[in-house]
Amino acid sequence: MKKILFALAFAFFALTGFQSFAQEPELTPERKHDIDSLALEKVRDLSKYVKIVGSKDTPWSEANRVIDRAEELFAPDAEIGVSSLAKTKIEYYKVRQYLERLMRLNYDRVEIDWYKIQYVSDLQRQPDGTYVGVITVFQTFKGYDAEGRLVYQDTTKKDITVYVKRKEAQIGGRLIGFWDVMLGDMRVKETALK
Amino acid sequence: MKAFSRFFGFLLLLTSFQRVDAQVITGSLGDFQMDETALYTMTKQMSQFISRFNYEEDQYGTKIDPKSPDYHNADKRKTVLPLLFDMDNPRTAGSLRDYFIEDLTKKNAQNLEFLGGRWFAEVSARFIWKGQPVDISMIMAIEKEGLGSKWVISNVFFNEFQQMFPQGELAEREKHFLHPMSHELDFMNIYKIFNDPQIIEYYASTKYQPDYLTLFFYEIKLGNLVFDSVDKVKFHIFQINNWYFEVSWFNRTGYNSGWLISNLVYLDEAEKQTLLKIYQPDQY
Repeated sequence: MKKILFALAFAFFALTGFQSFAQEPELTPERKHDIDSLALEKVRDLSKYVKIVGSKDTPWSEANRVIDRAEELFAPDAEIGVSSLAKTKIEYYKVRQYLERLMRLNYDRVEIDWYKIQYVSDLQRQPDGTYVGVITVFQTFKGYDAEGRLVYQDTTKKDITVYVKRKEAQIGGRLIGFWDVMLGDMRVKETALK
Repeated sequence: MKAFSRFFGFLLLLTSFQRVDAQVITGSLGDFQMDETALYTMTKQMSQFISRFNYEEDQYGTKIDPKSPDYHNADKRKTVLPLLFDMDNPRTAGSLRDYFIEDLTKKNAQNLEFLGGRWFAEVSARFIWKGQPVDISMIMAIEKEGLGSKWVISNVFFNEFQQMFPQGELAEREKHFLHPMSHELDFMNIYKIFNDPQIIEYYASTKYQPDYLTLFFYEIKLGNLVFDSVDKVKFHIFQINNWYFEVSWFNRTGYNSGWLISNLVYLDEAEKQTLLKIYQPDQY
């Protein structure tokens, strides 16, 4: 985990340049663009993990390992709120709980695909200075029975909170400021599209 | 009417989104080979609604550089604005819409601002009140604080509270008062205030307005009112001079979906003030 964080932080330094900040800095449009890319990278990782966890070909131990990786993308208290066309009341899950449910779905084969489209909102600042944004992506799910018949399908819109926080790390005896990107709550809503 | 508005929508789509299939987003999420036109046309977030409304992003979702002549460009804005209306609704698909668009594409036209105030979210939610399910609408407003901003609850609409304070007939209200020399009698007549609890507020100032938000907090604190779930969300926007409109979520197939204008009213600024007092009583 630490290695991954370090690698991400390093990649981000490479993008934005090493800089020490004496005070809470504002995000420049260029840096916002870099942060959007980093946030999208995390969402892309999540989409890969969801595909692996959902696949019936993934061994149980591997799926669990991937769930651990997926959990690391999110802030510790992140929740996933799920609703469908038939059941509009939002059900809340922790990230692990949500992925474990996906792993245990009772289909013989599932297909999970992500649309190419994505939408990244502007970042807004919350009172403590942390920036918050939302990335919207779309996913289709198809579940097949033992005879290969399609028994369930849906298209869901996923609105994923992104937190961008200023952090500092000591590297080579110097305090270096960097922007850390973390996923937060995710709203999963079934669309009318099939 | 519906058929016409669908045809109109389709024409707009042809002119505004015809290059959609050619669009490639670098490093995009999936590789799903499917027609995504409906997802591009969908106004996916309220943030996107604001960006499209102001013409701060093009029809392909790409942000326009504020230094570019295209940014807030009135002609281009004119082509995108009609797509932000619910085309199935005569209230938002007729000439009123055209007047609104005309106002928005004049010289020095107004834009929506996230931190500009005078816009509210209405969260319709289910609560349990004294053991029974009830619907309550919570009005939320953006408030600046510290280094940024946050959503705060500015008022609530709950039938039970509203019914508790009926306006009442003026003639009836005028019958209930304590005469101005009551103090000389040690307010021995004050018991009259409490004779009929249903009209106790008649004894308050004529300027008195019940504070529903405090009642709401009080009921929650007493445990009489318990939150259950969110039903739906919509937005009320008063930022544009002489106009009020609502934005609702349309979860449907086709090219007119997502966050769209679901109601539009021409409203002069004086009338608006009266409404704003209801939405945010502590500010207006």
